[in-house]
Amino acid sequence: MIGKEDLRQAFVVASYEIRKYLRSRRLMGMSVLLALIIGLILGLPPALGSPYPSSPNDFVGTFAGFTGLLAVLCGVLFAADALCSEHEKRTGYFLFPNPVRRETIVLGKLLASLAASWMILLLYYAAATVAALVITRSVTWEIGLSAAYALAYVACVIGVAFLLSSVLKGTISSTVLTFFLFTLIFGIVGALLQVGKVAPWFIPTQAAGIISNVLSPPSVFPGFSQFVPDAATSLAVFAGYFVIGSIVATVSFHRRELKT
Amino acid sequence: MKGLGKDYGAFTALGALDLAIPAGTCFGYLGPNGAGKSTTIKILTNLIRPSRGQAQLFGVDVQRSPTQALRKVGTVIETPEFYGYLSPLELLEYAGRLRGMSRTDIAARSEAVLKTVKLTGWADKRVETFSKGMKQRLAVAQALLHEPDLLILDEPTSGLDPRGMAEVRDIVKSLKREGRTIFMSSHLLGEVQEVCDAAALIDHGKLLLQGTLDELARRADTTAFQATFLAPPNPDELAWIGGLPGVKSVNPSGNGVVEFRLAGGPEAQVAVISAIVRSGLQLTAFRPVGTALEQLYLEQIQETEQ
Repeated sequence: MIGKEDLRQAFVVASYEIRKYLRSRRLMGMSVLLALIIGLILGLPPALGSPYPSSPNDFVGTFAGFTGLLAVLCGVLFAADALCSEHEKRTGYFLFPNPVRRETIVLGKLLASLAASWMILLLYYAAATVAALVITRSVTWEIGLSAAYALAYVACVIGVAFLLSSVLKGTISSTVLTFFLFTLIFGIVGALLQVGKVAPWFIPTQAAGIISNVLSPPSVFPGFSQFVPDAATSLAVFAGYFVIGSIVATVSFHRRELKT
Repeated sequence: MKGLGKDYGAFTALGALDLAIPAGTCFGYLGPNGAGKSTTIKILTNLIRPSRGQAQLFGVDVQRSPTQALRKVGTVIETPEFYGYLSPLELLEYAGRLRGMSRTDIAARSEAVLKTVKLTGWADKRVETFSKGMKQRLAVAQALLHEPDLLILDEPTSGLDPRGMAEVRDIVKSLKREGRTIFMSSHLLGEVQEVCDAAALIDHGKLLLQGTLDELARRADTTAFQATFLAPPNPDELAWIGGLPGVKSVNPSGNGVVEFRLAGGPEAQVAVISAIVRSGLQLTAFRPVGTALEQLYLEQIQETEQ
């Protein structure tokens, strides 16, 4: 059970985590990357003499194509080392002997990761929406839906990153595994399942297809099309990974001893 | 601590420790490296779980209710690392806010504890630039922030230069005068003798003995002495000294210096000195080496190794 005092402490932990993102320039790094992507999407078509997509959904669809990568980078930068670093860097000797439950520490760090990641993605979608409004003179509700799916997906990435961070010993292994899990391993598993005629509805990177699909239907190449579950299934997959990842991370972090 | 123990696989780091620390005492927890001191302290501060037994602070089980048990406790465990991106003031604010202290209290106490550990000039600097000794001072500061009733200190002078060690000992002594309970592990006997009222000795995870420092000193079987002769004694003379009543061992250490262990009190010392002088050996100096506690420590550690 989480009490009022636990919540107060969780917000204290969260505020210092966010201070970490600011001081370690992780938030700034993500903001620079965000600006770079937005700049390229907006700057390249005129530079190459190509017109912008005429419909707002197609226009924002270009942005949505990079959302998956942004979500993974958010998970890597704001979640992957959150728990294991307390052991590896021995900062747990400062934090743990305080009268604060480990569950509260996990909750605080989780809140900070979600806040920072959602802020980045909301900024990204805000920029995309404003640009769509200026260039195509209209926006659609599907843009908001795509943003909502993106927020759900990044929560899923964070849940998995926390799980890995709670069980792995080092920050490097946790960070690298989180990154490659979402950029490579899940993709390979999904493709192999499709080859084996098994619908990979439970693979989060497959489910992440709805972020773009809600804006514009996917292009179908002859002989192969990427399986994307329906919206409800995708959201359930994101929620499942987030909830299970967070619970396992909390239990694992609670049980883990500071021996180093 | 009741039957407190910790195993790491087949290795027993702590056997079944029964130890009670009376309120208001400064209790030294002695033992060589690897004896189980840090394991005990990590269990007490909820960093690791015991394999058996129970640890209580103020009557509250540390494992069952860690937040309640640790509320009135300040800890320094090994040389902790701090978040390098924070300054001492920010770290103290973090600890204070977690403990529910008001911002006014945090500001006032932070200033006081940083002054105590002589880090006032570094209050706003990021900890990532700090030396090990400075981090140790900061650890002491954060342990004192909330004016705890109990201080658990794991080798608090580790990593400090001689001046820093003396300053930390002075802090501990002043806390003792304030009536706080202090549980301090150390392998430095002089340190424990200087600041503690009572002590326990452990080795290989087993409690060897405990008591007040006076009680422990009385339990020492032998005392070490160093005798200096004008001319180094020959082997026959050394054998003769070794055969004197009460002399347990004789070791020449060069330049006419002979170290030996002697059982018995001051009367035995007088008898040995008198016998040496009467024998015609030219004794120029005779002085005790180390303290009774040190002798006891060495005897006990030797026994467990055998």
